[in-house]
Amino acid sequence: MTKFTRRDSIALGLGAAAVLSPLGRFAKAAVPVADVPAPKFEIEDGASLRVLRPAKFVPADEEYFNKNTKKFTDTTGIDVRVDYQAWEDLRPQTAVTANTGAGPDVVLGWTDDPHLYSDKLVDITDIADYLGKKYGGWYPLSELYGKKFGTDTWVAIPFGGTGGPAVYRKSWVNEAGFDEFPKDLDGFLKLCQGLKKIGHPAGFALGHAVGDGNSFVHWLVWSHGGFMIDENQKVTINSNETIEALEYAKALYETFVPGTQSWLDSNNNKAMLAGEIGLTQNGVSLYNAFKKSEDPNIAKLAEDVYHAPMPIGPVGRPTATALVVNAMIFSHTEYPNAAKAYLTFMMEAEQYDTWLTASSGYWSQPLKAYSESAVWSSDPKILVYRDTMKDALWLSYKGPISEASAAVVADYVMLDMVASAATGSATPQEAAAEAERRAKRYFKS
Amino acid sequence: MTDAVQQVAAKPARTGVISWHSTPRRVATIYLPLACFVVVLLFPFYWMTITTLKPNHELYNYKDYNPFFVHSPTLVNVKKLLFDTEYPQWLFTTMSIAIAATVLSIFASVLAAYAIQRLRFRGSQWVGLAIYLAYLVPPSILFIPLATMVFKLGLYDSPFALILTYPTFLIPFCTWLLIGYFKSIPYELEECAMIDGATRLQILRKITLPLAVPGLISAGIFAFTLSWNEFIYALAFIQSSEKKTVPVAVLTQLVQGDDYQWGALMAGALFGSIPVALFYSFFVDYYVSSLTGAVKE
Amino acid sequence: MTSVAESLGKTSVQPGPIARLFDWKPFLIVICLLPAVGLLTVFLTYPLGLGVWLSFTDTKIGRDGFFVGLENFASLARDPIFWLSVFNTIVYTALATVLKFGLGLWLALLLNEYMPFKALIRAIVLVPWIVPTVLSAMAFWWIYDPQFSIISYFFKDVVPIREQNFDFLGEPWPARLSLIAANVWRGIPFVAISLLAGLQTISPSLYEAAMLDGATGWQRFRYVTVPMLMPVLAVVLTFSVIFTFTDFQLVYAITRGGPNNATHLMATLAFQRGIPGGQLGEGAAIAVAMIPFLVAATLISYFGLARRKWQQGESND
Repeated sequence: MTKFTRRDSIALGLGAAAVLSPLGRFAKAAVPVADVPAPKFEIEDGASLRVLRPAKFVPADEEYFNKNTKKFTDTTGIDVRVDYQAWEDLRPQTAVTANTGAGPDVVLGWTDDPHLYSDKLVDITDIADYLGKKYGGWYPLSELYGKKFGTDTWVAIPFGGTGGPAVYRKSWVNEAGFDEFPKDLDGFLKLCQGLKKIGHPAGFALGHAVGDGNSFVHWLVWSHGGFMIDENQKVTINSNETIEALEYAKALYETFVPGTQSWLDSNNNKAMLAGEIGLTQNGVSLYNAFKKSEDPNIAKLAEDVYHAPMPIGPVGRPTATALVVNAMIFSHTEYPNAAKAYLTFMMEAEQYDTWLTASSGYWSQPLKAYSESAVWSSDPKILVYRDTMKDALWLSYKGPISEASAAVVADYVMLDMVASAATGSATPQEAAAEAERRAKRYFKS
Repeated sequence: MTDAVQQVAAKPARTGVISWHSTPRRVATIYLPLACFVVVLLFPFYWMTITTLKPNHELYNYKDYNPFFVHSPTLVNVKKLLFDTEYPQWLFTTMSIAIAATVLSIFASVLAAYAIQRLRFRGSQWVGLAIYLAYLVPPSILFIPLATMVFKLGLYDSPFALILTYPTFLIPFCTWLLIGYFKSIPYELEECAMIDGATRLQILRKITLPLAVPGLISAGIFAFTLSWNEFIYALAFIQSSEKKTVPVAVLTQLVQGDDYQWGALMAGALFGSIPVALFYSFFVDYYVSSLTGAVKE
Repeated sequence: MTSVAESLGKTSVQPGPIARLFDWKPFLIVICLLPAVGLLTVFLTYPLGLGVWLSFTDTKIGRDGFFVGLENFASLARDPIFWLSVFNTIVYTALATVLKFGLGLWLALLLNEYMPFKALIRAIVLVPWIVPTVLSAMAFWWIYDPQFSIISYFFKDVVPIREQNFDFLGEPWPARLSLIAANVWRGIPFVAISLLAGLQTISPSLYEAAMLDGATGWQRFRYVTVPMLMPVLAVVLTFSVIFTFTDFQLVYAITRGGPNNATHLMATLAFQRGIPGGQLGEGAAIAVAMIPFLVAATLISYFGLARRKWQQGESND
């Protein structure tokens, strides 16, 4: 492999084709690539980068991310250092970086972060355009997260999303009287009632669980046609649709395993692994935990674990969410071009596909071409995660992502509303009115 | 020395010493409650220990395995912690930072306490109060302005960021403790030395400090424990994984999304506590006796 | 006593110019206070000042704000969730403190007894204080788990007196009490050991005198032990109240403020709104709103302590 000197302007897209990794061959075979000239970057003298990202979800995630990073260093001579931070503790560190104007050059931060920090980020429209053209275009959700609101300026490269479809034990769903996982809300309720009857109830997080809790309640309210704000940022949560959703939540909650109102993100994993529940909503990590268990009895059960998209309600479209990680280059970096070169390199098929494949479904691609990646045909059970970014909505749907909408999500307004109505500590009307009041605090004017 | 208090614990006054030395009575009023305390205080610790030793499939399976015991103990979790992560490195870092912050705080507190208690000047009690008031900064939000300061001084991502910020919550308590302790040292000793022509610093070094050693130890233990446990500053000011402290690093490495490596996490808690526990079992009596000095009026 | 000391200090003869400089009291005072006051000034006044300033602005996490006066406070005053967090914080602090001191005092009295393995037992008692809070919080999180609580298991399967698992964290009051229990668990050792030290300073002659006057056991406790413990009690109380009031890690790890904000403390609410929520100004306002409570607690104990000294006739402070 050629070692470029720092002064060279280099075309990274073509640079590191020689992939020795066994996973590399999938990349060439599967992912369709358009012939687009790679952007050239004038790499700054003595460039080196620091990258901060969430800690691994599956061990291979970190392993391949580091491998790809090392390849970048070998190819370009730019030293890159990647640091990891527990996923729920990443936000304070990102906040410190943004506020002090120092620290890592590149941060892979959570969902709304590019919009909160858009004034402090480097414009990366050039690489986003290039990647979009080369890899079949960005999903609309990727564009929503990546572009500064109301403009065509890209401030972040969505790196991947993790979805939360239904995870269930097939034999118990069958026992409850369903051959197929239901696709509508009535069937879903009946399934949950059936599961409760046979002693393997459903369980969905209703505590302040950033990932699982939000993904359940947003799915539920949206599927009935309720939403927090409309396109003009008017708070519309106190609607008949929301009330209906809350009535439904109440009926559904009756069928849950006790204690879900205090569940955080890991509770459903434990309960499912122990066989306490037969249905929940989660990323692929749960399935992996079954598959990789040292206990042969549990590993065997992996065959019985299936995934299905959450049912579609009266609105007639999927209403799932995705936890998206976005790569941002902070404008305090001394080496913006090196950072751009790095991000481009990491998104190229030779690297990205190996990483995507190694993550075995935990991450789902933001670029359409990667839906052809071999990972999605490696195990039919994880296929449902392929369309995470294609179908998902963002948490402030239908409104734009803004400081106010981020605050409403972080304040768990939707979660508290559903939880209080479902558990009966407030009537649906009261819960919706309270949510409206709380949201309006942030959407003043 | 403890007769007096024994008497407080028991009721009848006039029958005197004999009655509560009877064994059943002591068991009922002292050993039984004490045993309850010890069990309750140690139970979470016990829980951590057995979680460390349990293989993963025993963790959630209460039907086949009684969760109070380990059925097939394993050291896999310990091995994972010690060899698959940089735990020894984190332990060393945390230890160094805690020791450095403690030494710095004690140094500053000794001088401050000496000035306030022995040098007596106008407004000295106000300085004491001001040092007290330093506790008013709730770290959960003000770490962001503090981070600005850390960056301006070029300390970000360096152990000094923690070594220099931890004293902000260590100095107040240590100073208070030492003021109290200095009070208990007879001033006559210093007077004699002064008449012999010793300077004040000589007195501090050769007379006051040696007498205050137990006080220093107890302040040190307090400061060390707090530095050992600190979370938010360590999270916000340190980025490189090898420079992280135990509480932060353990969470980063052993929590994979919603999949917690419980065994290794609890092993991390245990191994992080053992050095301090050993330290304490040596010094706990010093700690008690030095606080004794501190509260003497 | 002090006046004698001071006059001595002034009149004694000192050799050498540098030594004399270091013996010149004002200089020595400055030198001695410099490290402590310097460190606190550099690392605390600026953040505290900026924190207070932020609370008067509409600063968001990604951009600087404008001065908005008391708007943040006015908006918080109308926010029931803020008041809920104030209520929770006060309940949390008050209950936890009462329990910590009640149980801590009892434990101190027990530990003060003569018994075998005294040092070992004292060391064991300190253990909860040593385990890093984040990690002991995770152990408690598990102990309170709705499905896998060991306590539920005990009462369901070992002593079968319950049908259902306990729902420790799912309802407001049980959740609050569970968190308080965890906090008390962590706080007892420090209180007990400090009070134990206090107990040992009480001279036995005081009890003998009280007994001669015919005082009952309760009277001796009430009129000898308690007053004699007051100084240490006041100071340990101050520090304990402050630590409990600003507690963050326990709630953040176990409930994250749920269910339905019933366990949000001011510190966790400030964090939630300021950092993940991005409303830095509002978060700072909540943090600043904690300060009056903390000042009150500090002043009460500080002057409570000072009053003790006056009563004892010490004139020097």
